[in-house]
Amino acid sequence: MKLYPVKLLTITCEILAQQNIIDILSKHEITGYTTYEVNGNGSRGLRGQGFKNEKNAKIEIILREEKLQDVVEEVSRTLFANFAIILYVSDVGVLRTEKF
Amino acid sequence: MDILQLIQSNLLTPIVLFFLFGIIAARIKSDLKIPEAISEFLPIYLLAAIGLHGGIQMRTTGFENMLIPMLVAIGLSLLFTLNHYQILRKLGKFNIFDSYALASTYGAVGAVTFSVGLSFLKNQGVTSEGYLAAVLAVLEPVAFILAIFLTNMAVSKQISTKKQSFTNDSKSDIDVGLNETKIKLSKVLRESVTGKAIVILLGSIVIGYIIGEEGFGPIKFVFDELFTGAIVIFMIEMGIIAGQRLDDIKKVGIFLTSFAIIMPTFNGIIGVVVATLMGLSLGGSVMFGLLLASASFIAAPAVLRNAIPQANPSLYITSALGITFPYNIIVLLPIMFAVASFLHNPEGSIDLFNYSFKDLI
Repeated sequence: MKLYPVKLLTITCEILAQQNIIDILSKHEITGYTTYEVNGNGSRGLRGQGFKNEKNAKIEIILREEKLQDVVEEVSRTLFANFAIILYVSDVGVLRTEKF
Repeated sequence: MDILQLIQSNLLTPIVLFFLFGIIAARIKSDLKIPEAISEFLPIYLLAAIGLHGGIQMRTTGFENMLIPMLVAIGLSLLFTLNHYQILRKLGKFNIFDSYALASTYGAVGAVTFSVGLSFLKNQGVTSEGYLAAVLAVLEPVAFILAIFLTNMAVSKQISTKKQSFTNDSKSDIDVGLNETKIKLSKVLRESVTGKAIVILLGSIVIGYIIGEEGFGPIKFVFDELFTGAIVIFMIEMGIIAGQRLDDIKKVGIFLTSFAIIMPTFNGIIGVVVATLMGLSLGGSVMFGLLLASASFIAAPAVLRNAIPQANPSLYITSALGITFPYNIIVLLPIMFAVASFLHNPEGSIDLFNYSFKDLI
């Protein structure tokens, strides 16, 4: 089995910032992502109680290293200041590299 | 019945009691929770019921009388939003983003408050004009659009004056700012007009208008008789969320706390007086006042978080839900009802002087 190295970008943010991130992804021609609703605690307090739009979302994107830099730059420039958001990158291996 | 008695009897209605119960449940850290699907469903149900009701009544009353109250409501809502901004910015020393966000939260309308108002009137045996449901729908995005427009203008002006100190060729920056405003505004307009609240409200008004009283018969049980019961269930959820936020109220500060009580009172009473002058019925005047008094706490975060992300959401959610909403449904609603009954029937039942004179003699 041959695994090809790609990057996994994981973003946990308030659910109202999710659309902004998806817009940024599509701007960089990234069409594949997975989102789910999550709860948690962080510097902006306990999240996920109360109204639905106060929940958090977790977004996972597998992408090639070339695009990673631009996406991370734009997310941090446009969203870090005003939204509850955490972002990290990990190395993962995939079987079908042509999908990303 | 005097105002205090009215407040007292209003306090002992299931709606208010369940709201207070929800707060207590949250304070004792109970795991009581309304399932998410239900708390998402209830606002849709309430808006559908309000819309159907409005549509059916508009069929009998027609549209002609609707136009003036609607335009006056829009005008007052815009005026109040500007007024809020001045107060928050000059007296409250809030930053420009928080000021605009709060100003529009309090200029906007609350559909839940509106539902509680309808059920309060039902309790008092008073009806209101059906077209107020249409006013509710039209009023929903108005204050937000104004605030977003003004925020973007202020931001682009700031950017252009900053740039001007470096270079004289600043025209393009203003254009960029204007362009951004246009993009944001059209996005907000589209999102609020196609948003679920307005779509279900307008849709049910149209359906109500088409089906009329006879068509309403078979669904009356669900959309009329269950209405107050559904509000009660929703109030548990509202109480729990408000209770979870009680600690945040300390962070809101004395200024905003008094703002969250004084502004709705002022706006509401003006609304009642203006509505009476326009010839609305007793119930209609109370609902008109309530439209102007209420603050938005469900729609506001969704709109403002994207349109004015710099504003602190816990300020506007906490003050609107934690302070203004309970104040409106417990205290202000009976006050506005008393004011409206006094204006509609000066010789009538509510006459505080009479009571005190009788006591003296």
